[in-house]
Amino acid sequence: MPGRDKLIVRKPSKPFYFNTSENLLRIGRQRAATLGELLEALRTCPEDSIFQHTFRTLQEHHFIRQGFSNDFAQWSISACNEPVLAEQLAGVDVREYTSISGLRQRMVQILDDFLRENPPATAHSGREPFYFCASDIVIMPTAFVADSLPAFLEGLKQVSLHSIHHHFIEARLRLHLMSNDFSQWLEEELGLAGTADSIERIDIYTNTLEGVRQQIERSVEQVLN
Amino acid sequence: MSSNGHHDSSTVTAADTSANNSAPAGKQDVAAAHRPERRKSTSGTVPGNQDRRKEARLNHSNDRNLPASVLTPPVPPPPPHLDDYRAIIGQAHVDSLRFLARDLKGKTLKMVNSTAVGGGVAEMLNRLVPLLSELEVPAHWDVITGGNDFFEITKAFHNALHGAKYDLTKAAQEIFLMYNEQNRQRVHFNEELVVIHDPQPLGLIRSKEKSSASWVWRCHIDLSNPDARVWEFLRPFVEQFDAAIFSSQSFARQLPIPQYLFYPCIDPLSEKNKELPDSVVQKVCDEFGIDRSRPIVTQVSRFDRLKDPVGVVQAYKLAKKYVDCQLVLAGGGASDDPEGAAVLQEVKEAADEDPDIIILDLPPWCALEINAIQRASTVVIQKSLKEGFGLTVTEALWKGKATIGGAVGGIPNQIIHKLTGVLVHSVEGCAFQIRYLLTHPEFAQRIGANGREHVKENFLITTNVKRWLLLFRTLEEAKARKK
Repeated sequence: MPGRDKLIVRKPSKPFYFNTSENLLRIGRQRAATLGELLEALRTCPEDSIFQHTFRTLQEHHFIRQGFSNDFAQWSISACNEPVLAEQLAGVDVREYTSISGLRQRMVQILDDFLRENPPATAHSGREPFYFCASDIVIMPTAFVADSLPAFLEGLKQVSLHSIHHHFIEARLRLHLMSNDFSQWLEEELGLAGTADSIERIDIYTNTLEGVRQQIERSVEQVLN
Repeated sequence: MSSNGHHDSSTVTAADTSANNSAPAGKQDVAAAHRPERRKSTSGTVPGNQDRRKEARLNHSNDRNLPASVLTPPVPPPPPHLDDYRAIIGQAHVDSLRFLARDLKGKTLKMVNSTAVGGGVAEMLNRLVPLLSELEVPAHWDVITGGNDFFEITKAFHNALHGAKYDLTKAAQEIFLMYNEQNRQRVHFNEELVVIHDPQPLGLIRSKEKSSASWVWRCHIDLSNPDARVWEFLRPFVEQFDAAIFSSQSFARQLPIPQYLFYPCIDPLSEKNKELPDSVVQKVCDEFGIDRSRPIVTQVSRFDRLKDPVGVVQAYKLAKKYVDCQLVLAGGGASDDPEGAAVLQEVKEAADEDPDIIILDLPPWCALEINAIQRASTVVIQKSLKEGFGLTVTEALWKGKATIGGAVGGIPNQIIHKLTGVLVHSVEGCAFQIRYLLTHPEFAQRIGANGREHVKENFLITTNVKRWLLLFRTLEEAKARKK
């Protein structure tokens, strides 16, 4: 981590623009009544459905600290009573993927393997069907633009959790890098590689999104202090 | 409603709603809100206020007499402004709404439904229309008119779309089409977006050809299992829209038009949901004989078999073997609905004069009292056997209450089992969860807190405003692409 003096003199060449996003939920045409149908639909559904039921659902349930990961895992346990499959699907960390196609492949692989090992489960009807949805997303600016680390910290504190989700979780799909907008900016513009790395390692699945925000804030405050 | 049984035509604008507190001009009398329901009663008479008070005293004389304070409807407060929500949703979300509205500035939309007062749709429009207009997206609200024959048929359609059997006759179809045509001749569609609520005004879609608007059907009904003939009659109208909106994924049909998911919503600043001082909660409990020093388990629902109030009494009795608690069944519908009265009687019989079961048949304007009872509750139940979306669940979750819900209709959208509440499928399951929640207060508190956040994120009126703005933008963009 660079020294404080060095940090103070270094000005970012590009400010950090805090954006946010909102989504309009569409009901898709596909639905699955069994795990076999879920597998088929997972293979063929539009990418924005995979996005909705993994990345987006995390935002919609940002307040849950544990026990919720993605809609496929949730349906496997709540409608199909398949705890092993649910655990495996829940173990998929969306932040390990920089493309939806990679994420889809992983989900398909888990379900395919499970059904090969448990053929009777293929036709087992869930208590309720799985309805595939998708999102139309609008990205928009916020009032916060940071041209220094203190301004960045202030922006972090003020923006909505949708903005945190946009920059910290969804950013991978935009950057196609195993990183996030915050870490990218802190490292590239301020040379804070250590801080960037510690932020990148925050666990989104054992924290609420508000908890994630607070951890990022603490990392930045450590540099400022 | 006029004395001849026909609904008066009315157009509501934001200016109207601001000036009149909530309802369209000439409809501020809250008691009048229930007259359409009276029209449907077997007696067919519309009692005046005096009669209604007397009737209330007679019909509500069950285990707890109602205090005089609830026998007359209060004057509704003025609707809130967008900035009033800032303390609840945060400045950032208010800013997002303003940003989304910016590109729509000056574009207008029209909402059309079949009643200006009473019912969830009118309640929602009363809040939505002023908020959209405050965002400089002027919203007009038209209410279609019709005779008793029309509304009897549309009520039957409503039930049939929910799965009830109905013999659809040619005459019924003609009456439906005739009133729709009358309204179509009367209403002008000069806006950029026209939203038709529910099946009653579906025939207005015939005006689409001559308008430049995008047309959207907002269906508040569960269409998952409709009467086939009624649906086949209505489907050609629906398919002419540019999009349809449903309240749950499971309520939708396969249609050739885009379908969107708009969850129903509550207003956190309404009488039913606003924060209350503890003194108000205490006063209401005192008035109804509810002991706040002991656990309170509550179901708020009209007395309807589909809400399974008898099942709730049975679950309470099973739980009571292990844990001390009171059961409050707060509802209405028994005074103007013969079936409701029968269900109330069944509930009283099931209660068997247990002094810890408090049955309240409340008039429909008792929003504040319901709010207080929900806030006083330790656990809230909605053990429905069939349900629409279940806004009483939303209300309970918003108040941070540990909530038990039947796994039907839109309840699983709100209650994620063991995370934002608990889902049950039987009397026994409900009894177990009452026991568990009353003996594990930390768990109850955690799911209650999660439930409140779930509502804040997904089921508030401000989220609903956001969805309308997003949809309007999407449709305007699609229109521009076509050009």
